[in-house]
Amino acid sequence: MYLPDFDYYAPDSLAETCEALERFGAKAKVLSGGTDIIIKMKSGLLSPEVLISLKKLEDLKKIDYVSKKGVVIGALSTHNDLVNSKILNDRYLSVSEAAHNMASNQIRNIGTVGGNLCNAVPSADLPPILIALGATIKLVGTKGERVMLLEDLFTGPMKTVIAENEILTEIVIPDQSSTGSNYIKFGLRRSGALAVVGIAVAVTVNGGTITEAKIAIGAAAPTPIRAREAEKFLQGKTISDDLLAEAGVIASGESKPISDIRGSAEYRRDLIRVLTRRALYKAINEGHV
Amino acid sequence: MSKDYAVIGKNVPKIDGREKATGAAKYAGDLKFPNMLFGKILTSPHAHAKILSIDTSEAEKLPGVKAVITHKDVPALKYGISPARWDENIFCIDKVRFVGDKVAAVACIDEETCYKALKLIKVEYEVLPAVLDALHAMDEGAPQVHDEYPRNINTEIHQNFGDLDKAMAEAHYIRKDYFVGQRTYQSPIEPHSAVSIWKDNKLTIYSSTQSPHYFQYYIAREFGLKMGDVRIIKPFVGGGFGGKLEPTGLEFAGSVLAKLTGRPVRTFYDRHEMFAHNRGRHKVYMELTTGVDKEGKILGVHANFVSDGGAYTSLGVATSYYAGGLLTLTYEFENYKFDMIRVYTNLPACGAQRGHGAPQPKYAFESHLDNIAKDLGIDPLEIRLRNARQPNTVTINDFGINSCELTACLEKAADISGWREKKGNLPKGRGIGIATGSFVSGAGYPIYRNDLPQSAAMIKVHEDGTAATLYTGAVDIGQGSDTALCQMAAEAMGYRYENMKIIAADTETTPHDFGAYSSRQTLMSGSACKQAGEEIKKQILDIASTIMSLPPDDLDCRLGIIFSKSRPTAKTITFEEAARRFFVLRGPLLGRGVYHVPRLGGTFKGAAVATSPAYSFCAQISEVQIDEETGEVDVCEVWDVHDCGQVINPMQLHGQVHGALYMGVGEAIWEEVLFDDQGKIQNPNLGGYMLPTALDMPIVHSELVESYEPAGPWGVKEVGEGATNPTMGCFNNAIYDAMGVRIDSLPLTYEKVWRAMKEKREGKKEV
Amino acid sequence: MSQVITDKHGIQHYMITINVNGDDYTRVVKANTLLVNVLRDELDLTGTKKGCELGDCGSCTILLENKPVDSCMILAIEADGKEITTIEGIAESSELDKVQEAFINNGAIQCGYCTPGMIISAKALLTRNPHPNEKEVREAIAGNLCRCTGFVNIVKAVLKVSEETNDKEVISNE
Repeated sequence: MYLPDFDYYAPDSLAETCEALERFGAKAKVLSGGTDIIIKMKSGLLSPEVLISLKKLEDLKKIDYVSKKGVVIGALSTHNDLVNSKILNDRYLSVSEAAHNMASNQIRNIGTVGGNLCNAVPSADLPPILIALGATIKLVGTKGERVMLLEDLFTGPMKTVIAENEILTEIVIPDQSSTGSNYIKFGLRRSGALAVVGIAVAVTVNGGTITEAKIAIGAAAPTPIRAREAEKFLQGKTISDDLLAEAGVIASGESKPISDIRGSAEYRRDLIRVLTRRALYKAINEGHV
Repeated sequence: MSKDYAVIGKNVPKIDGREKATGAAKYAGDLKFPNMLFGKILTSPHAHAKILSIDTSEAEKLPGVKAVITHKDVPALKYGISPARWDENIFCIDKVRFVGDKVAAVACIDEETCYKALKLIKVEYEVLPAVLDALHAMDEGAPQVHDEYPRNINTEIHQNFGDLDKAMAEAHYIRKDYFVGQRTYQSPIEPHSAVSIWKDNKLTIYSSTQSPHYFQYYIAREFGLKMGDVRIIKPFVGGGFGGKLEPTGLEFAGSVLAKLTGRPVRTFYDRHEMFAHNRGRHKVYMELTTGVDKEGKILGVHANFVSDGGAYTSLGVATSYYAGGLLTLTYEFENYKFDMIRVYTNLPACGAQRGHGAPQPKYAFESHLDNIAKDLGIDPLEIRLRNARQPNTVTINDFGINSCELTACLEKAADISGWREKKGNLPKGRGIGIATGSFVSGAGYPIYRNDLPQSAAMIKVHEDGTAATLYTGAVDIGQGSDTALCQMAAEAMGYRYENMKIIAADTETTPHDFGAYSSRQTLMSGSACKQAGEEIKKQILDIASTIMSLPPDDLDCRLGIIFSKSRPTAKTITFEEAARRFFVLRGPLLGRGVYHVPRLGGTFKGAAVATSPAYSFCAQISEVQIDEETGEVDVCEVWDVHDCGQVINPMQLHGQVHGALYMGVGEAIWEEVLFDDQGKIQNPNLGGYMLPTALDMPIVHSELVESYEPAGPWGVKEVGEGATNPTMGCFNNAIYDAMGVRIDSLPLTYEKVWRAMKEKREGKKEV
Repeated sequence: MSQVITDKHGIQHYMITINVNGDDYTRVVKANTLLVNVLRDELDLTGTKKGCELGDCGSCTILLENKPVDSCMILAIEADGKEITTIEGIAESSELDKVQEAFINNGAIQCGYCTPGMIISAKALLTRNPHPNEKEVREAIAGNLCRCTGFVNIVKAVLKVSEETNDKEVISNE
């Protein structure tokens, strides 16, 4: 296989990166880890004239906790940076675990969080759990920066609101009122598999009552979705097996999965029913794991 | 294995272990020659289309392009590997028959230029309706894949042994079941590559091959060359599993490009092109009808199959015969009817894959037999014990069985797996299944008709006796034949393994051997190596007798020490000493060996296929855990007990079982080549075509039973393919045991298990 | 930024320096040159294999800054200035590395095509975690596909290295 020809730039700063993106416009693509774009280029699905490499943007490779803000994940953190981050392991093991179940060790050492989000693949593993935890993202462009909820990033398969001259620089998981979170990936093998469905939940439990629940589902629609009806249904209810099962049924009803080689829409809907219940159970009983 | 042996029966270090562990081992795609070009083949984007025109002018203009060839530049002679059906051209002439069919090729200064040049070749097609469904390929008015084969029938078999009607009339119970196999692909991790060098009138090809001999024969035939002017050399090969048994476009197109440019040309497939070339396992539609008596003893079987062969024959004629032929091995019955039609479709050609033809029919039959056992209230182990083949028997289709310890395999598998304690006592969601397998120890007849011996070998002892080189045409593709054959040669010589060198699988320097397929080399190549070693020993003892002044009959040699058998205290001499003396007095110390198969099999049509000097047998038990809500199958543990005769190298032998099981596990649950409605592969990569990863493999137990095969050297027989045969049926039976659902098509995916459980709950499906 | 040379067709070439197995190599590459091809074609280090070229099989696994990565997924220019270890550099002298020894002695090698990548993944694991459990071993090599062994003897070989590694040695190596 081979990559079609392109020009390559590796700007020294964020500002230069945005300028370069503005200059080349639609001709250019951002090269972060490259694990998605290189496959697309080798497969003939993409042939950008210019690749703008982010490799020199060292500031975007950190994972920090900033008080009153939350956990700040630089967009260039690799999946394994998430897996191995003490901060995430301590606070949101669910995020580390989601990263750990992606692709393979080799790919997790290359692929980045930013890339995973910006590619907007409906089956991506990180968006559901980050959405469930209410993560925000920062987009920086030549005209300044904007912060938005991650769940507002996606507009369709491989489509986002990111402008041609913008890049995603950081993801923030805000301090939580939630008491537990969990991501369940259902893949067809235990490594190197895309999610047939991926279910993330974050719940706030007070006594035996769910005061708030967030459910985000991957591979269930053209973009990661929130199961808002199920969330509403759970709010203020006393926890019981039937309650969680019913939430699963509602979430399943809200999903709009497609049929493809990994599974039929019917199968996916039923998996969503089952796994939503299981994810809720786990988040309620085990905390942020 | 008797302790009397000095070299065989032991775990010696793999002869090429160090080269492979250090990255020094060179595979075809690693080879470089001065002035070498790179070659690549343009393939068809359509499943079935007329070629209206091919314009190569733009490609020829691209800097770095040295040659562009189409059907006009190559012989029009059709080739194939099954001689009855030579149906392929180097490049398509009038039409393309599948997505991936060969249309043109380029030779360029580097790989990148090849890709760019291929894009510049303009081919005008008129798309034709395609036949993509094997079950409708024979329909009136279906598109014709080859004009010469009406109704797309490639191979048609109707065999009838005993009196099936009578057996069925007398049966206490008759059951009919229908199963569907799937198309799988060998997926060796090494992609095919070849380097072709055509100098003067001699063609040399370094190729990723399982059989230099067949490559040499068919390539010489295609180009009208003498076999002696075609040299095929096998470098290290990164796995074959049946997919590298026949020459491909890489060798044919590469040769022409090398001739035209006068330069070495390295041709190669990318992973998706390997999938398109394919030659993997056929998809088979299988109807089985079996009559049994009250005790579950099988009285008669009717196997009625249709298989999807794809666009060309490849090895499919043999596959078709194997599919039914091998069904008579593990269980004894006297009445058998086998009907089979292999049809052409506009999909990639299918061929031979590990277990050639047998695994899918075995999946069907083992599932079917469990259904019968359940209907009669007999334990699955018990029904197999009642029908298990016994030694020194002849199958109804005339295969002579010598050694056969299938009963012992079943008993041992039951013991080590805890079958009797577990069966019926496992919690819901957990299940245990059983199945049996058997395979040939080398095909009794070569692929094209000829009277060459199966194997030949030579040994040359170094003039000072400190090394001996085994020359064999046998082909190590990873299974470890170089190591095992050196052990066998050393044992026969009375020499040491550590001093053995090997030159193998080069048609110019090594004696003839048909190669690595049908699990033939340990028995067949081993026989020739043993004979060559014995000839060395005879000569060395002869010279030693003059040095030692003892009669040669009183001498023996073991691990390089020559000693008197009757006088244990007599002074010994070394092999080196005697060998050196031999060279000084008589010249090179050489040993030769040759192995012919005795005439085997019956006289009916197709009687030759699946004959073999010996058959391996095995029993497998597997345990699964099913997620009752999602259908997820956790393959927990597998026990394989093999009767593979005596063992040359235990570590390598168990490695073969592990690998055969691995392929079986993959095909049982995960692997399937999927097509869209245009005949294009949807998962031509190792992300979409899912081989199990290290995390998916069950715990594996590989055990043996004591057995001695009189037809094999030192009592050996096959192991490398047999363990693939029971696995899919074994898992299907375990899933049935866990959940009471029977999955009637492969692979046994999570979704199929989920759906079957759902249908059972909803009362839609009677099991 | 690495030095850029534009050829007569207007294609840009970049001068990069990579440290491979302890030695610096300076080469001129195009932007679309993959790291695996520089190693194999330019440096003749063909122990790094190409199996799928899409990051699925792990045959091309190398250590980049001591982390296992698929070299088919990385542009050569992205590795400019970085340290690389290939299978040819895994042993420090002509002696085999313990992982290599264990692979040979435990039947973990059949066709050998996945072996270099597999050994690199195993080595990376054992360097980070000298005493992994079986699950950790399987996780570490899950990105390396082997069609021959069913991973049985590979897992065994890696666990054997762990068994034979005494902890004093580990500490002194660090």
